[in-house]
Amino acid sequence: MPAKDQKKPAPKAKASIEEHKAHADAFLADPKYKVKPTTLNDTSDEAKP
Amino acid sequence: MVYRPTFRKQGDGSRCQWVNCGPASHAMAAQRHRRGVDPRTPHSWPPMPPEIRNYISPHSCGGTSLQDNDAATTHMYATNMDVRYGVPWTTFRSLIISGRGAVVQISYSVIAPTKYDASPGFYGNHGIYVNERRASDGAYLVYDPMADGRRAGIPKGPQWWPASLLQRAAEAMPGTRAGCINASFTKDTEV
Repeated sequence: MPAKDQKKPAPKAKASIEEHKAHADAFLADPKYKVKPTTLNDTSDEAKP
Repeated sequence: MVYRPTFRKQGDGSRCQWVNCGPASHAMAAQRHRRGVDPRTPHSWPPMPPEIRNYISPHSCGGTSLQDNDAATTHMYATNMDVRYGVPWTTFRSLIISGRGAVVQISYSVIAPTKYDASPGFYGNHGIYVNERRASDGAYLVYDPMADGRRAGIPKGPQWWPASLLQRAAEAMPGTRAGCINASFTKDTEV
C-alpha cells in the first residue's frame, strides 16, 4: 500500500506521544496491512561468517 | 528510558546459525514485548535464537519469515506480535516513538558499504531488531544479530543507525511495496 493511500498521514516526528500512539493504534487496527504481498519472499538469506 | 532487551547474536555456534537472523531478532523482540518478565510457559526464559529455530524447523535450516517467527514466539512466549506489510516509513516512526520495538526486514546490500556492515561479502535479505528512536538526531537503535564483534572491523552489539540508512535498507527488501517496509511490532511497552 503506497504511503499516499493512507487515509490520515502520520504525525510529524516532534508531535506529542499521544498523537503518535493514536496514529499507531489506528494503523494496527487496519486489516489491509496484514496481507502479505504476493511478490514478497520475506525469508532471510545465508549470511557470511 | 525505553526498556532494552539483551543483545542476541546469531553466530552462536548453533545449528543454522548463519540463517538465524529471524529467530535471533525475534528473541530480542520477545524479551522487549514482555519487558523481560518470564511468561511462565513450558519453554525456557529468556528467549534464545536456537530454541526459536528448533520450534520453526527442528530438522532443517533455511530462511525464516516474519510469520514463522511470530507463530513461534507466540507459542513459546505468549507474545502475539503485530506483523504488517507495506508500512509507510512515517507510520513506522510513529510506532517506534509511541513505545513499540520492531523486527524489520532489510536488504543488506544497502548496509554493506557502510561502517555498520557486520558481514562483509553478504548482500542478501536480513532481519534486524529496532528498539527505539533517538529524538536528538532521529537515529534508531538497531540490534543487528550479526554485529557480534567477532573480528576487527565488525560492530559489536546495538548501534545507532541513521534513519535514512535504515529506511533505505528496509525499502530495498525485494518484493516490498514501493516506499514502504515490512515489520513485526511488539506491544507498546512504555505505557
